[in-house]
Amino acid sequence: MTLDSPGARRVLYALAGTVAVLVVGAILHPGFASWSSLRGMLVVASFTGFVAAGQMLVVLVGGIDLSIPWVLNGAAIVLTTASLGQTSRAPVAILLALGVGALVGLGNGLGVAWLGVPAVVMTLGMNGVMQGLTLGLSKGLTCASCGSYAPSPLRSLFSGALPAQLFLWVGVGLFMTVLLTLTTFGRRVYAVGVNPTAAFLSGVGVRGVTVALYTLSGVFAALAGIALVAYGGQPSLGLGDPYLFESIAAVVVGGVSILGGRGHYLGVIAGSLTLVAVTTFLAAQRVPEYGRLVIYGLVILAILFAYGREKAHD
Amino acid sequence: MRDALRRVSLGYLVLAATAVAYLVVYTSRLGRFPTSFDYLSILNTTLPLVFVAIGQSLVVLTGGIDLSVGGVVSLCVAVTAATASIPWIFAVLALGTACGALNGLVVAYGRIAPILTTLATLSIFSGLALRVLPAPGGSIPYPVRQVLTNPAAPTGLIWLGLAVAGWLVLRRTRFGMRVYAVGSDESSARAVGVPAAAVKLKVYALSGLCGALAAVFYVSTTTAGDANAGTPFILTSIASVVVGGVAFSGGRGSALGAVAGAVALTLVIDILFFAGIDPLYQSLFQGLFLVVAVLLGTVFVRRRRLS
Repeated sequence: MTLDSPGARRVLYALAGTVAVLVVGAILHPGFASWSSLRGMLVVASFTGFVAAGQMLVVLVGGIDLSIPWVLNGAAIVLTTASLGQTSRAPVAILLALGVGALVGLGNGLGVAWLGVPAVVMTLGMNGVMQGLTLGLSKGLTCASCGSYAPSPLRSLFSGALPAQLFLWVGVGLFMTVLLTLTTFGRRVYAVGVNPTAAFLSGVGVRGVTVALYTLSGVFAALAGIALVAYGGQPSLGLGDPYLFESIAAVVVGGVSILGGRGHYLGVIAGSLTLVAVTTFLAAQRVPEYGRLVIYGLVILAILFAYGREKAHD
Repeated sequence: MRDALRRVSLGYLVLAATAVAYLVVYTSRLGRFPTSFDYLSILNTTLPLVFVAIGQSLVVLTGGIDLSVGGVVSLCVAVTAATASIPWIFAVLALGTACGALNGLVVAYGRIAPILTTLATLSIFSGLALRVLPAPGGSIPYPVRQVLTNPAAPTGLIWLGLAVAGWLVLRRTRFGMRVYAVGSDESSARAVGVPAAAVKLKVYALSGLCGALAAVFYVSTTTAGDANAGTPFILTSIASVVVGGVAFSGGRGSALGAVAGAVALTLVIDILFFAGIDPLYQSLFQGLFLVVAVLLGTVFVRRRRLS
């Protein structure tokens, strides 16, 4: 990746967008760029960053994951009900929650790659299945163990002065960058995204790559669920709903092509930060909710016009 | 063309299967056949989704997707309920069309992917809806209710018939053919002189109009408005289109299939209710229904191709 390649340029645009929003915010609202305010924004952006990592992986091969909201919510509830707030049960509970995410992602991947179900349909159906299972098994979050909190060591880790999700996010960033730019698997992902037929003909196991990516997306959604519940203490119903469209927006604002084959996670980090900075700024300015929604939409449109346009037809 | 026929028949097959399941579950549970009241309530609750599904299927036929239907329906529901007057209903139809046209302009002339454009406008329209109607409420003039979704007579059948007839006419116009041409292969369509951008603009505007119609029927059925009323329609309209056999790659399928899909999806909820299934599990079965219907569809199409 050289500096003047289109991919690098898109990452730079995304970073420039983040800096622009932060600078404008700091000028209009003193204290907006202070460390404590920045830390708050980083924490909120990290949750978007986790789900967007998974969303980005499937978008890179031209897919989409609409099952994120209830995989996230399901994993969050599995964590608290399995741990019952006890420290000794925490490792098992975390593994269980991540396992649920992996299993659902695997199901999505198999449906898309082997059964040929369109990604929108498969993941939309899976979101419904997970919603039904989560609501039904937890009896609408009224089951005996549903009032449990996340284990206290986990909670203190995730809500301290230097919260754990920031380190986790750095870890996710390193993992994504190494996976996509330094491994054979990463090269295969881009190959499948650019042209699946050409990739298949040159010996790439297109189905295997697809299944692996959807599985990873499920794991990342579960990770976001764990981080959210560790941060907030208790899960709630509808916890994941805002993250469906937010993850897609972060991926695209981060310069990843929705058609697949192009994009870097560094851009997605910038995209997550930009989105959170915009919402934080509007909240700080006491803009009412309707105004926030309208401006949020306009900002995304403006960013899309800046660097998300498709090539002109000849 | 034959392929399109196969896909359409998938929607009808699914609808027939769900209708039979509905009758079986209903009669075995209550020991009698459904009454005209049951049919009327199904008709009136399904009409808003039918309209949104028609709009969504038009967009999907050109190879796009419209996530902003949720925002358009919310905004139009808010305006309809907040103003509660007959002249305003016509203004709402114009408003919905304008919202759709805005999507069309950005997609066709701004060259931004449909899913992203409509994601952004979804946020804008939802925000405006919240501005118009901050708290659920409002009303609808009584005569409108009598004409659109009369609780005692199947006036809804007239509007369903008009919607179906409208599609059948549209399908045979030059515009209808162009919709399929753009969806099948946009560059070939351009090469033979189809104004692809103008076609897309009209399709998104029509989707907006359908969203506005759905909103008016929604307020007429529920007699009140809610600024979040449109949100569920995003996913249910996509599901209707999918169950109705419209291909996501564009160019194949029919709005009638989507209508069948919308009615089938509404019936599934009634089946679950009469089967005594815990409402908490409702979305589990809806999700399974969606995936299984599509899986059966692919098997069905493959078999037919082989024979």
